[in-house]
Amino acid sequence: MFQPQKTYEFYSPTKVLSGNKALENLPVELDGMNAVKPLILTTPGLSARGMEKVMASAFGDSNLTIGVFAGVPPQPDLRLIRELYSLYRDNGYDAIIALGGGPVLDTAKALNIAVSGKPEDLESLASGNPLTKKLKPLAAILNLDLSGCEMTRYASLGSLSLTSPALIPDLMIIDPRTATEEEQKTMAATSLMSMTQAVEACLHPARNHLTDAYAYGAARFIMENITNVMRNPSERKGRLALANAAFFAQTSFDNLAPGMVYELGMAVSRSCHTKPGLIMGLLLPHFLLLEMRKETTDRKDLYLFIGGPEAFAGTMAEASARKAVDRIVEILLELQSIVTYFPRSIRDLGIKKEDLEKIVAHGSAAGVRGEYDPQDIRNILEKAWETRF
Amino acid sequence: MNEYKEIQSGSKPFKRAYVALMLWFVGRAIEAAARVDAAVKAEFDGLSPGFTFSLGVMPQGPTMIVGKDDQGLVRYRGWDPEGQKIDLKMKVKNLEGAILMFTFQESTAMASARNRLIVDGEVPAACAIVRVLDIVEVYLLPKLIAKLAVKRYPDWSFGEKIRNRIRIYGGAIFGL
Amino acid sequence: MELPGYYEYYCGVKIIAGHDALERIPGILQDLHARRPMIVTDKGVAGAGLVDIVLGAVKDQLTIGAVADDVPPDSDLRVVNRLAALYREQDCDALIAVGGGSVMDTAKGINIVVSERADDLMKFSGAGALKRPLKPLVAVPTTAGTGSEVTLVAVVKDHERHLKMAFVSYFLLPNASILDSRMTLSLPAAITAATGMDALTHAVEAYYGLSKNPLSDATALAAIRLISGNLVKVTRNPSDREARLAMANAAALAGMAFSNSMVGMVHTLGHATGSVCGVPHGVCMAILLPYGLEYNRHKREAVMGELLFPMGGSDVFAGTTKEQRTDRVIAYVRQMNQDLHDASGGRHARFFKEVLDREGKPAVPRERLLDIARTALGDGSIFYNPEDLDYDDFLMVLEAAWEGVALDPGCIRT
Ligand SMILES: [Fe+2]
Repeated sequence: MFQPQKTYEFYSPTKVLSGNKALENLPVELDGMNAVKPLILTTPGLSARGMEKVMASAFGDSNLTIGVFAGVPPQPDLRLIRELYSLYRDNGYDAIIALGGGPVLDTAKALNIAVSGKPEDLESLASGNPLTKKLKPLAAILNLDLSGCEMTRYASLGSLSLTSPALIPDLMIIDPRTATEEEQKTMAATSLMSMTQAVEACLHPARNHLTDAYAYGAARFIMENITNVMRNPSERKGRLALANAAFFAQTSFDNLAPGMVYELGMAVSRSCHTKPGLIMGLLLPHFLLLEMRKETTDRKDLYLFIGGPEAFAGTMAEASARKAVDRIVEILLELQSIVTYFPRSIRDLGIKKEDLEKIVAHGSAAGVRGEYDPQDIRNILEKAWETRF
Repeated sequence: MNEYKEIQSGSKPFKRAYVALMLWFVGRAIEAAARVDAAVKAEFDGLSPGFTFSLGVMPQGPTMIVGKDDQGLVRYRGWDPEGQKIDLKMKVKNLEGAILMFTFQESTAMASARNRLIVDGEVPAACAIVRVLDIVEVYLLPKLIAKLAVKRYPDWSFGEKIRNRIRIYGGAIFGL
Repeated sequence: MELPGYYEYYCGVKIIAGHDALERIPGILQDLHARRPMIVTDKGVAGAGLVDIVLGAVKDQLTIGAVADDVPPDSDLRVVNRLAALYREQDCDALIAVGGGSVMDTAKGINIVVSERADDLMKFSGAGALKRPLKPLVAVPTTAGTGSEVTLVAVVKDHERHLKMAFVSYFLLPNASILDSRMTLSLPAAITAATGMDALTHAVEAYYGLSKNPLSDATALAAIRLISGNLVKVTRNPSDREARLAMANAAALAGMAFSNSMVGMVHTLGHATGSVCGVPHGVCMAILLPYGLEYNRHKREAVMGELLFPMGGSDVFAGTTKEQRTDRVIAYVRQMNQDLHDASGGRHARFFKEVLDREGKPAVPRERLLDIARTALGDGSIFYNPEDLDYDDFLMVLEAAWEGVALDPGCIRT
């Protein structure tokens, strides 16, 4: 690997509990943060799958009272936060437990800002004023339907985008009873999002020893488990590994600026309502092929992340970057054959060729970091539109 | 908001009863083993006079207490820590963790590696008590299970092991 | 990569590393709403000019409330209370600890006293006694080894009551750790070598220990790679800034690995040797590490073999069959001790009979090995060792480490 030249910073304030009976440790962990009455936030869908019972049983014998709000919608808004704010205050809650991905974490982070100060702090943070109060305890229980930002400093609520390291959950729990089977396509999207975050962290100019360590763990777990889990979703250990990988990838992503594939994936996703992870999976090989044509030395250890030490050590240095790309393409081809309705190009998602120019313009103006050439972006998008793997 | 409700955490009476029974049994077995097994006796002799420890489940039990009396004899002291001076507290973080231990799915070593135990007290004493628990487990459990419960199965002579095992079982169940 | 059935991991310390990392301290304290820190350090650190470097890096943007530069090597409760009083007198609102283990422990102790207004520190000892965040604490380590800049334990002695109080809490973790190459640049060769081997031991024991997990694995592997590439180099050439920074990073990474996955018999025996014979911790680690690998090998063969990749690099790893990798790893650690011995002009000890005390007399007389083995029975790190050890096993390992010979595989009871 490499030597970082510049001064770096790394921060991950989350305590991880992963595996068998992890949920049962919640009472002790809450006690350690001086909390005794948590409010659980989740979605109607997860509630219908019996998650409330799982939680009640996890708190069994603890003597605690827990609240459950199972009405988090796909698009939470400020009005919801205000309602939850009163609910939290009126019933004397002192911690939040977010059960599920994406909107549940957005809601939980926003609510945490409100209940630790006042609801107006949300607008204040969105307009650039930093938070001044320490936030209340926040625990996240992850599943395999994730947005890629659950364990990061980012949250969005309607038009508000909220960014602060204080938003990162204090506790993350991965338990076999809550990281349950999702639709194949959902799990594939979650894992391809993690893969993109890990690969871009490995290629990032500001990468450091710690982002490398987290990205390495993420890439290894994804490569070793993604196709197994798609073939056999009841494979519990594989699912837990993929959920772990999501946390590792998000943590390294959170400590670096978002990469090009991530930003483009988000931009395309907005214009076709497909999960961004799937789109990133389609963009990633084209991005890597383009990258490889450029002369940069610290690209060759990507194959260590993707292939593992055994494969990496057995490959000539010159061939190793190419091997990494090949391996990623292989995985995508396998996913196509296993996962029903897995897209093969962004054209399959209903993107019109003439839309691409808009995304290029949008991408290079807002979001995508300045150092990328619009020509590169166009190149990748066109390839991902035309080429069907 | 009809999506909202408040839940009182329920209880798990059967699991509690099972763990309580196992703790009672292990407590009495330790008392018997200290009479029968030289290594267990030596471990207790090395501890301070009146030394007492508890093994229990958070947040509110069940618990078992074992300690040395005025003559230096090891005694099972019941389940109620109230009014007892306890030098070493070993607490399993929750009932499910205790179930894993007492159904022998997780050994003491694995439970501590997985951070399921909290130890409050002097470390050397804790080391001694863990060694005692290991020996008692070897007496109480069939070899196949005990081999998973301890890191290294001792190579005791067969006859002695059987003799001691009968006396420890007798002590634990009938208080002989 | 292995996923254990259950694991926990936490390291909430912000890491800032670089050749000019110290300059970030004012910004960090500002984020934590602190304006007037007290610097805690010892005479050795101050005498080496390190406090001046820290002051130079921060003084334009920060008012220093007090500089306490007299933390003794065996600090105790009296020191903690005296410095806590100074902190209050000078109206400070944060702590910057510049130094090694004793300074870190003292700063953590002061932090409990000033944050909890504790008149009796004892009330806060043991697990779970602290329930809320303490005052901001920034750690600036001046050795690359102990990893105490990322650990959550503090030990404070009470010499009057002959007590050793251990405090364990996430709230004792520093808010930030500053890894700056300038802080270790003047470290003598022998200390560099010994502390570096301590860091290597943290990473290796974490990697084969019972509590290993994916994050302790990833940080341990990174640490081992950095140490393998830089420790001998920096011992030969102490003013190599890049190698110094790499070692500072390695020590912190290894600290994260072992504070989450714990250490094993190398530390069990090392702690005992330290307390019976007063041998520095890193020296014990360097001597004992090969024996930890040899003794546990039958339980951890495959896992240990994986260490050849970060130690030897791609070519060596690919060129060695799986069956031979653990042998190579053990040989590699022994060779490293030999190289450090040579690079330090013979001051880095390879076995116990070679260790000398301040007067140049043997520090570990052979007959003391019995005491060491007995003391080892009371050290908690043994819980996390893959294989069990009793008194005879400890003694067998100590005898071999005293003489400097490999363990006889026939003597390891399985
Ligand atoms: Fe150490």
